Amino acid sequence: MKHFKKFSWIVLLFFPCITFAQQLVSGKVLDRTTNTPLPGVTILIKGTTNGTTTDFDGNFELNVPNNNAVLIVSYIGFATQEVPANSQNLTIYLEESSLALDEVVLVGYGQTTKKDATGSIEQVTSDKFNGGAITSPEQLIAGKTAGVQIIPAGGRPGAQGTIRIRGGVNSLSANTSPLIVIDGVPIDQQGPALNSVNPNDIETFTILKDASATAIYGSRASAGVILITTKSGKGGPLKINFDSYVTSQLPTDFVDVLNANEFRDLINANGTPNQIAQLGNFNTDWQDQIYKAGYGTNNDLTLSGGFNNTTYRVSLGYQLQDGILRTSRFERYNSSIKVTQKLFKNALKIDLNIRNSIVDERFANQGAIGSAVNFDPTQPVFSGNDAFGGFFESLDTDGTPKDLVPRNPVGLLKNNRNLGETRRSVGNIQFDYKIPYVEGLKANLNLGYDYNDFRGTTTIPAVAADGFDEGGSVTNTFSLQRNLLVDFYLNYVKEFESLKSKIDVTAGHSFQDFHRENGFNRLNGINQTQEDFFATENALESYFGRLNYSYANKYLFTYTVRRDGSSRFSDDNKWGTFQSGAVAWTVTEENFLKDHKIISTLKLRAGWGETGQQEVNSDFPFLPTFTFGDSRSQAQFGDEFIPTIRPEGFDANIKWEESKTWNFGLDWGLFNDRITGSVEGFLTDTNDVLSRIPTAAGTNLDNVLLTNVGNLESEGLEFTLNATPFQTDDFEWSFNFNVAFLNNEITKLTASDDPTFRGNLVGGISGGVGNTIQINSVGFGQNKFFVFEQVFDANGKPIEGFYVDQNGDGVINIDDRRQFRDPNPDTVLGFSSYLRYKQFDLNFTLRANFGNYVYNNQAASSGNFSQTNTLDTNTNVHGSILRTEFQEQLLFSDYFIEDASFLKMDNITVAYNFNKLFDQKVGLRVYSTVQNVFTITDYDGLDPEVSGGIDNNLFPRPRTFILGLNLTY
Amino acid sequence: MKSFQFIKHPILIMLLLIVTFSCDDELDKEPITEASASSVFDNPEAFKQFLAKIYTGISLSGQQGPAGDPDIAGIDEGFSNYLRQYWMHEELTTEEAALSWQDGTVHDLNDHLWNSSNEFVRAMYDRIYFQISLTNQFLRDATEERAMAVGLSAADVRAFRAEARFMRALSYWHALDMYGNIPFVTENDPVGSFFPEQKDRAFIFDFLVTELTEIQNELVAARQNQYGRADQAAAQMLLAKIYLNAEVYIGQPRYTEVITELNKIFSAGYTLHGNYEELFLADNNSNGAQNEVIFPIPFDGLNTQGFGGTTFIIKAPVGGRMDPAAFGISGGWAGVRTSKQFVANFSDITGATDQRAMFFTDGQTLEVTNKFDFSSGYAIGKFKNVTSTGVPGSDASGEFMDTDFPMFRLADAYLMYAEAVLRGGSGGSVSTALDFVNQIRTRAYGDQSGNITSGELTLDFILAERARELHFEAHRRTDLVRFNRFTQNSVWPWKGGTFEGTPSQPFRNLYPIPSTDIIANPNLVQNPGY
Repeated sequence: MKHFKKFSWIVLLFFPCITFAQQLVSGKVLDRTTNTPLPGVTILIKGTTNGTTTDFDGNFELNVPNNNAVLIVSYIGFATQEVPANSQNLTIYLEESSLALDEVVLVGYGQTTKKDATGSIEQVTSDKFNGGAITSPEQLIAGKTAGVQIIPAGGRPGAQGTIRIRGGVNSLSANTSPLIVIDGVPIDQQGPALNSVNPNDIETFTILKDASATAIYGSRASAGVILITTKSGKGGPLKINFDSYVTSQLPTDFVDVLNANEFRDLINANGTPNQIAQLGNFNTDWQDQIYKAGYGTNNDLTLSGGFNNTTYRVSLGYQLQDGILRTSRFERYNSSIKVTQKLFKNALKIDLNIRNSIVDERFANQGAIGSAVNFDPTQPVFSGNDAFGGFFESLDTDGTPKDLVPRNPVGLLKNNRNLGETRRSVGNIQFDYKIPYVEGLKANLNLGYDYNDFRGTTTIPAVAADGFDEGGSVTNTFSLQRNLLVDFYLNYVKEFESLKSKIDVTAGHSFQDFHRENGFNRLNGINQTQEDFFATENALESYFGRLNYSYANKYLFTYTVRRDGSSRFSDDNKWGTFQSGAVAWTVTEENFLKDHKIISTLKLRAGWGETGQQEVNSDFPFLPTFTFGDSRSQAQFGDEFIPTIRPEGFDANIKWEESKTWNFGLDWGLFNDRITGSVEGFLTDTNDVLSRIPTAAGTNLDNVLLTNVGNLESEGLEFTLNATPFQTDDFEWSFNFNVAFLNNEITKLTASDDPTFRGNLVGGISGGVGNTIQINSVGFGQNKFFVFEQVFDANGKPIEGFYVDQNGDGVINIDDRRQFRDPNPDTVLGFSSYLRYKQFDLNFTLRANFGNYVYNNQAASSGNFSQTNTLDTNTNVHGSILRTEFQEQLLFSDYFIEDASFLKMDNITVAYNFNKLFDQKVGLRVYSTVQNVFTITDYDGLDPEVSGGIDNNLFPRPRTFILGLNLTY
Repeated sequence: MKSFQFIKHPILIMLLLIVTFSCDDELDKEPITEASASSVFDNPEAFKQFLAKIYTGISLSGQQGPAGDPDIAGIDEGFSNYLRQYWMHEELTTEEAALSWQDGTVHDLNDHLWNSSNEFVRAMYDRIYFQISLTNQFLRDATEERAMAVGLSAADVRAFRAEARFMRALSYWHALDMYGNIPFVTENDPVGSFFPEQKDRAFIFDFLVTELTEIQNELVAARQNQYGRADQAAAQMLLAKIYLNAEVYIGQPRYTEVITELNKIFSAGYTLHGNYEELFLADNNSNGAQNEVIFPIPFDGLNTQGFGGTTFIIKAPVGGRMDPAAFGISGGWAGVRTSKQFVANFSDITGATDQRAMFFTDGQTLEVTNKFDFSSGYAIGKFKNVTSTGVPGSDASGEFMDTDFPMFRLADAYLMYAEAVLRGGSGGSVSTALDFVNQIRTRAYGDQSGNITSGELTLDFILAERARELHFEAHRRTDLVRFNRFTQNSVWPWKGGTFEGTPSQPFRNLYPIPSTDIIANPNLVQNPGY
């Protein structure tokens, strides 16, 4: 008997589709207000996971065990109803709910409802995602939430953008990107890009902004947390969805450089005889030569459904995108499987999730972008002979390519083959178990992994000008990242009706282990080899807990605590405790506002929390270690060569950064939440900020060391407004508007308080070697530009080399450079519009930033006459020279700090829905999207949106045109 | 039995197992591809490998050749090499060299306009202190006890430690010479956050004299060590240089001591190599030139690769109509030229009489009218990556050099001797001095036609002769300071920021302590004038 029980358990696990005797009910589900059928409504038999969904006409059929069965009818945006299955032909009317507040939102290690949430949490669901050919998932939510900036990377297909929550200003040298958690598995913050996740598989993004929401992620939470949930099967019969689109990408603009005639005129007028002699007779627009239209396609097939205790979703995806830079190409193959299995009368729910992807890329040699700006426009693309693959190059007297001069941009692209393949698998299995005998107690176990493997090969043929000296080369690179996760928590929920109280307690343990390695080997045409390999590990162990208490549904209280241990710090500093507390008052639950005709929601929130930062880009910053030298860095002792070992610098006392955040929020809703909004204010203090600063000479083995110094402050205000001004059968318009005002200041920077200390120079630029344009100074915001104040003549033309003598000492030197503007916007706005008219819909997203400044590095470094000559070779210069007539490189003039405020339309989609085709079984949606539609800005460079604020040789973002269709069966 | 009913739920058991499972030990990670300090010296080879790092601290920029894992931050790795920085600080600030590049504030070196924020001034300083920290760490780690525990002999380790102390003394001398009063740290200080004290030049001078005197007995005898490693003669030469400049450093003459130290070297069997040009070729470790070299910095095109050292010294001066192949390189960097003031040291610039005139003038102008243009100013083709038989160096790509850098060589010692005698040092003689100088000139001219008389042997002659013999070997700034011609009493193009050149303020005889260290270490007082 015992054995039989065990066996039956196994049987249950593997054959979950056993069914019992039945009787059939059918019915129709309608919207109460419009009396129209509702498709896709979920109908479940109470107490089971058996159920179905309605078809396009709102009809359903379902076998129920007996006449006493009760159906649970639920649909997003409508109040859930329980209906006795006592008739063969039911008509069920659903009423719209005050939906926003009942919406389930994720929190760390659990979920809550919008109504019960006390922290600053925003959720973006797939129906609100940005349209378009999206290769990296974070683009789905650009502009959708207040205080979340998604700064797109350049136009390389697959390039990952920068995500900044509330400015991302809580650290100087450690990580400022949010922790990303996919289905409960935190991904490695040093890890690979998100671009292996198929955007089509994502259901929601939940953004945890304030510390009361993030503190449960403790030492990884300072920069915010983004929880990503992937789509699940909804149950019911097999549904098939097929989505397919084609794209065409075009460059929008080129960098302003002199054309061949302008360049010839300039050299003929001002050049040396040597320069004039070098001028060619051609008119080549090098940028036009290296860019082209890029075509692509994306195809996703999804199967989903369920039977009895099982639901499933399987998706397959293929995406191809050629970049606009010749030879660049991105190709992705995706598969995902998600299965939910319920066992033991629903006491145990098992979620299995596996997502695999292969990304094949050809990386264009991006050196061509800079070369196309600088290469002499009077020279031809092809030389007319076979040398160097036929490409024209600047040569030495011996006919070999000159060192250190620009190479033919087209040659750089064509004579370089850089292929890479990334294989990634992310998965988890989660057991959610309602523990018998204790009502309200459940246990949750989550086992997860993330495995990412990259292999690449760069081949430069012997004929290539930049491989000529060594007869070409083959370089293999590889990297591997993997992490393993074990999370376990217990959750206990109990309502004390007599006390009008409800508690919800969670306590758990988490362990995550990270392994990373990378390396390369290289062989050139003269049989020289080179190789390197690096591997490292770190681990995090945590204990966490949360207590939610609510009284009469109107007073809410949350307390969280996390104790984190990190392998990255010494025994004395390994463990840190991070706590948070929040209170909320749902005013609309009070008698004086309950059932108010206009005000449907009013809630006040206040929270405080501590978070940390241990993502310091080094796994052993506290430990003395030695690095081995390679075979090319040996010492010659007599006739032997001795490889070397180098002791590394370390800070034995290094520890977490700690941020303390106050957050105040007000959520409101009017007219049954047709209009909702929130206002948030926050104030963050970060102590023991990790910064890379110069060490006192002779005291350490590094001249610049990562160490805890300094304090930062940041503050901000965020407003969100969601409204549906029109809502009828035929016409509906809703929009989201959000705005954030951000400010930050450095309040301490060094161990000693030296008033003469101007700050740490940061922000490396091109132009010379080792120059920087930014500074972190006490009393200023981060990354202020550090520049001279340009003096202009009566006509408004900058006077070369003439700057304001700020300290009046009669000498212009670095002491006269001043903090001036910064790249961080003061104001960030987003506006999304969703418009439906009959079967048409039209959606678009606008984004704007104000108060962000960009250093036009291209103009500063090459917009001057001295740059027409690089090592005795004519080189083209930036078009600003025609206005400035600068002779020398004036890298530090504030003339090149430009206002880069902008308004962008990121995307616009128009679609037509054929709801009923082929006997009403097939839904068809046809859509067209334009991405990067327009940009309004005063900025002179290619694109005002530059992460870090230094504009130099960006892979330009294309404008993308998309035509697609979506079939549902 | 009933109380065990929950065992029927295997999942529950699994959960209980996991909740009680602790991963505490998993937080004690160890480096994988790096070595931890606690175990690295279990390997006897580690002692020599660490010593090797101290030597490559001068020749290379990091742990990956030619670049990729730099030793110091704050500057491009190629620029960050010790020898490259030392060469720039000794040459670019003098009439011997001008640079046409536009890297950061590099022209402020040419122009005598540098300040405490100059990244090159900082890179030199940080390199010096990286080297000092490295040797201090070696002296902490490479103890006799530890070495003998893994089977090394006490004598070997004593020699290693003496070499490390020589290398530290070399860097402290550079710091003393360039930066004046400087922070002082030894192996007895800890690694970590403390503020070193600033010691004056007299203190550092005494420290160096004591150190170099002490280690002379512990180092391997002159010319008996492996090529590329320091021996007693290297320490004697360094000490002689410190004494020669004692008037600059401590305001007191020590010329007699110069002669004493040099005489030890002269008795060790070094000889002038017969062919001046071959001293600076790819095979200068084997073509006979090695017999003249007291302390070389070795380079190898395959095994010792970097963008500093002789790669810079050979490539930077090649441009214009010069033929890269003749230099054994893939291409020149079209940067370094010289001034007409330096050219004037030679009455015949063709090299037909004095072979040390190695000018390249085709397509070049004598005047440095345009500081950004390589063709402005004569080029100098002294160092080459071809052997004495005309074969290019071992790196067939022509990127990295085999040519070793002669940091100390006998001809320099001869000229130092002559100078010390002329400045009143005892223990030597004018006739020996004249003989030494004429040996050098005989080699340069190929015969005795260039020989001078004792009447011509003056201090001014010595300064000019040092330029002719030792130009581009990173001695010039120190020489000019000693002769008080570095700031005052001399001009060259663009000195002071004008084409004609103007004398600069005497405070520029010292470089400023970089502002980064003034901020990091509150004990430091900046040099006057900055």
